Amino acid sequence: MPTKRTASKISPRTVVLVTLAVGLGLPGALFAAILLLSPLTKPAVIDALVGRVLGVDPATWPWTGLAEGVAVGILAFILVNFGAIVSGMTVWWEMRVSSRMQSRVGYNRAGAAGFFQWIADAVKLLFKEDLIPADADQILFRSAPYFVMAGFALAFVVLPFGESLIAADLNVGVFYLIAVTALVVVGILLAGWSSNSKWALFGGMRSAAQVISYEIPAGVAVMVPILMSGTLSMQGIVRAQGAWPWQWNVFTNPASTVAFAIFFISQLAEGNRTPFDLPEAESELVAGYLSEYSGFRFALYFLVEFGNLWVMAAVATTLFLGGWQVPFVGPEAYAAARGAELIPGAAWWGLEALSMVVMVLKTLVVLNLIVWVRWTLPRIRIDQMMNLCWKYLVPWAFASFLFTLLWQLAVAGTPALATVSGIALTAATALLLVLFLRQTRANLVAMGDRVDLTNW
Amino acid sequence: MPTTVREYTGSIRDTVKSFWHGLSITLSYLVRRPITVQYPDRTTLPVRDMLPPRYRGFLEVDASICTGCQACERACPISCIQISLEKDPQNPKQRVVTQFDIDEAKCMFCGLCVEPCPTGSIQHTREFEGSQADLRNLVIRWSDPLHPFPVYKVDKAAEYLPRVELGTLVRAKLAARAWDAPGPRFLPPEPPAAPAAPAAGDATPAKP
Amino acid sequence: MNLTPGKILGWLAGAALVAAFLVGMAQLAIGPAAGAWSATAAGPLGVRDVLFYVLAALTVAGAGGVAFARNILHSAIGLLMALLGAGALYVLLSADFLAVTQLLVYIGGVLVLVLFAVMLTSRIGEVNVSNASVGVVGGLLLLAAVAPVLVAVALLTPWRLIAPGPAVATTAALGDAFLTRWLLPFEVASMVLLATLVGAIVIARKEIKAD
Repeated sequence: MPTKRTASKISPRTVVLVTLAVGLGLPGALFAAILLLSPLTKPAVIDALVGRVLGVDPATWPWTGLAEGVAVGILAFILVNFGAIVSGMTVWWEMRVSSRMQSRVGYNRAGAAGFFQWIADAVKLLFKEDLIPADADQILFRSAPYFVMAGFALAFVVLPFGESLIAADLNVGVFYLIAVTALVVVGILLAGWSSNSKWALFGGMRSAAQVISYEIPAGVAVMVPILMSGTLSMQGIVRAQGAWPWQWNVFTNPASTVAFAIFFISQLAEGNRTPFDLPEAESELVAGYLSEYSGFRFALYFLVEFGNLWVMAAVATTLFLGGWQVPFVGPEAYAAARGAELIPGAAWWGLEALSMVVMVLKTLVVLNLIVWVRWTLPRIRIDQMMNLCWKYLVPWAFASFLFTLLWQLAVAGTPALATVSGIALTAATALLLVLFLRQTRANLVAMGDRVDLTNW
Repeated sequence: MPTTVREYTGSIRDTVKSFWHGLSITLSYLVRRPITVQYPDRTTLPVRDMLPPRYRGFLEVDASICTGCQACERACPISCIQISLEKDPQNPKQRVVTQFDIDEAKCMFCGLCVEPCPTGSIQHTREFEGSQADLRNLVIRWSDPLHPFPVYKVDKAAEYLPRVELGTLVRAKLAARAWDAPGPRFLPPEPPAAPAAPAAGDATPAKP
Repeated sequence: MNLTPGKILGWLAGAALVAAFLVGMAQLAIGPAAGAWSATAAGPLGVRDVLFYVLAALTVAGAGGVAFARNILHSAIGLLMALLGAGALYVLLSADFLAVTQLLVYIGGVLVLVLFAVMLTSRIGEVNVSNASVGVVGGLLLLAAVAPVLVAVALLTPWRLIAPGPAVATTAALGDAFLTRWLLPFEVASMVLLATLVGAIVIARKEIKAD
């Protein structure tokens, strides 16, 4: 009974401090671990360490492969944990933002600003009974979440966090990314079918149809930055861009701006985010393909759904928004700070940390944009969804692809063209941003209200 | 589905415009103070006092004016009211209510029991906060079986029926029970155990 | 599981084939002509070798699952495993682009479409839809026709052995090859795809008209 609730013995100040410690410390520790581990777990470094620390020749020592494997395993563990924790914190942040957009208070009980809610939810889900419907296809029902999780976790292999901070800079990076996300579709389809439920089946079918359709505009739109950089490697694409907005892929080519919009929309659809959340439309399909799931398996789907926000945002940042490029710090600066040492000095680590900060900030901006779109637009109908894909996105993606081919030829002739386009489009975007903020202010004033963040 | 070029470009323009206006509206709501008030810490009054007077919360029975007619029990569509009447052993002419249980956990607050009550003894209050660790603790017993209350004889000449202030009784009942109090063990009664050894040849014992 | 004479015959034939294969392999390994072959098989088992055997086992197990599963969807999962294993083997061969293409085209495209199509059917759990459409005699005939060729190829080809080198980017080389030396086959393949697309559209439109 609320009136007889035992008074909490923890003072509000302690709650805020603990929340801040966990809320900043947890991601901070993970970022630090990624910062430290991703340059150090490279096979060459491990080989050199083996040679230096153990005094054996890494080429003939039988356990070199094992040492490399363990190092990569630790990095993978950190990355998967990063995905999980970022997913949970995104849930909390999204719920806070959505409640404000709907004039509600939102999470505010567990911890300051309700920050521990996502941990409480996760713990609750872990303790729930793992139900499997009686007539479900046991094997497929149990295995489907693993496909989804694998597709999600594998994406982190090629997500750059900074100049040298990437698990593996595959030279087929972008291609690999598109390929592994296909595993998620397999998982969703299997989940839909094996649940032996109408709703789950419809959800799975819708999701598959949607993801297959939107892979085409996404793939073609991705070709635009690939053409502009001449490489499939994620780091290569970032290196081909500059640090300032007018050097970003999204602005140096008018078609690339269109491609960015197409890519962004397709990513929303592939991640089953509103306004494309038809596969789990609550009002029609209960929860779509995860209707029959409970407990930990349900938690896995949820983790992937929200963790995908980070992946989507990081990929968009890498391909179009300049990635981790820090202003005034060119490749020579990194090379100079790197030196020839096996373990580079503090200056290099500082630069790496700086590039990571830039990358994370840009990613968070895009992530917030995705959250913002979700709480703005209503769900679209399935025919509208297909129309949008096949009649608008696909032709426009091909058009921007062709335009980019010609544009690259033109830029090869007159390199100033890219700069002109970059400056013009950056200025236009800045102008639009100002107009947009004025429009927002006008909306506020029209209601006789004002900016008030006191109750955040 | 667009059939002309104008429709095609028009739908693109509509999309951009709806993004523009929609995003600016949601952003403008993001930065203003929410209009909702947090329950229950920051409300100016207890919430029950801010509810409309005809709010249908927990049922309350004023035993002092209950006639024991069982009309409410008959009216209840989901049988959440259980009433037993007995003759008073001291006074055979006087009937007493030995049991008057209302399962507030089961009650759907339809108000059908309030309508037939001849004296207004059973009423909905504005109480609604009844969190209990044990669901069975939400069965509120309005009559103590050891001390049953006598039924009320309606005084035809009475101008009004003396009813205690609405809500005080149920509030006292709820306050008397800690939220984590252990629930009664045999309420509702456990289903009877299956017969130990059914007669031979009768594989499926008939359900009562 | 009821044993019909045909089934027993099939099992016996399979066992005989396996035995013949093993005998042939043993002969090849022990025989005097197999000097070079056995030399490569010697040496300690590295991480790479273990990985190869695990992946090969996964692929073969997946392929077996496709053939023997009683449920089309389980067959599809077997196919997924086989395709994944094949993709991983490409990685071991330092063919990164090919491996990712395998993942994208076969798992992201073909397999998802297979699953999609299977879900549109209603008789997923029925055995006779999944397997045994040709019958034991036909299967045996096919086996008799195919097995000698496969076994001969596996045993008689002088397999080239290349020391595993560092992974090299193959994308640019592949692109160059497709647009210069192998341009004609590449374009012919795209013509096939175009014909398929046109055919699919024709079929789909006919059905709409019939309604």
